[in-house]
Amino acid sequence: MDCKQALSLMHDYMDNELAPNQVLLLKEHFAVCPACTERYDQLERTEMMLFGIKTQRIEPMADFVTANIMASLPKKTKQRVWLRWVKNHPAITVAAMFVMVMFISALSFWNQDRELMVKGPDLDKLIIEGDKVIVPKGHVVAGDLTVQNGQAEVYGEVNGNLTVIEGSMNLASTAHISGQVTKIDEAMSWLWYRITHMFSGVAYN
Amino acid sequence: MLARKGDQRAFAELVELYKDKIFHLAYRMLNNRHEAEDVVQDTFLRVYKNLERYDENQKFSTWIYRIGTNLCIDRLRKRKPTYSLDAEMNDQEGIDGYAMIPSEDRTPETEYMLSETQQMIRQAIDSLPAKYKTVMVLRYMQELSLQEISDVLDMPVTTIKTRVHRGREFLRKKLERKL
Repeated sequence: MDCKQALSLMHDYMDNELAPNQVLLLKEHFAVCPACTERYDQLERTEMMLFGIKTQRIEPMADFVTANIMASLPKKTKQRVWLRWVKNHPAITVAAMFVMVMFISALSFWNQDRELMVKGPDLDKLIIEGDKVIVPKGHVVAGDLTVQNGQAEVYGEVNGNLTVIEGSMNLASTAHISGQVTKIDEAMSWLWYRITHMFSGVAYN
Repeated sequence: MLARKGDQRAFAELVELYKDKIFHLAYRMLNNRHEAEDVVQDTFLRVYKNLERYDENQKFSTWIYRIGTNLCIDRLRKRKPTYSLDAEMNDQEGIDGYAMIPSEDRTPETEYMLSETQQMIRQAIDSLPAKYKTVMVLRYMQELSLQEISDVLDMPVTTIKTRVHRGREFLRKKLERKL
């Protein structure tokens, strides 16, 4: 064993990581090499001095340091707790946001549409007086008729559905409506109407 | 872990449990009381802010030692440029130990308490480059095992071993005439 190898083994020995047979080899080397013996001795004494310094007393920190630490901690607010919940449940948060946005936009649509709106074929044949939409006697509307924010007065025929949103309807005895008659005046049923029409629109287009 | 839920009292207990360990570590690393106290404060502030990121599979002591050690290394880096161990080795022993002790610690009391030998050791440790100093302080002053040091510094055990070996050799040379 040369001295370089022995030095490496010395350190491993000090780290308690030397196999017993290698310890034996190292000791054999010490027996024939006074320089390495001296070196090991020095290393061991260095280590003792290092461990010795640990026992040396250090004046403890001033008490106010602990108090300072506690005082310097940022306050965790309620909002942060809330935020953490949001972070932990991203899917629910996104779903809730989606529903909220849908609901708000639907509501605003509902509140905005205050003007008379008539939808259907042959509109020029209808009589409109103020917010009154009249289907004259003898006239046939060839399809669905929708009246929003107005009164529908039907004397003639409607070959389809009649839908009145936020308004009233007046069906004369001569009126004939082949489809369904629907009256919508609540936000929720209006929403339902829009949603079902959205889907049927998708289905038929 | 209670402290994680923002329980201030639980956190205060953590502070009580680890403040001295971190203070000793920082004091040995920086050789300056005031800076060491700052490090202790910064360490706990960081622990508090990052409690949510603490991995429970890890020992808490490892984690807090890592934060403290990194803060010390940052300060050492800011203080002066690091030079290689070889350059240090060739350094002449011209500087006397007295000059190496920070002036604020040079009170008559400490001079009396610190034997010449102890002063020399402190000076020798202080002159180690940061990466060796860290390992030596953790190994001898905190009595961590090589494996624990490797966990704290997030480095392979073989690297830690090499640094301990080189650190020991460096200190042996520095302290040669005292041995």
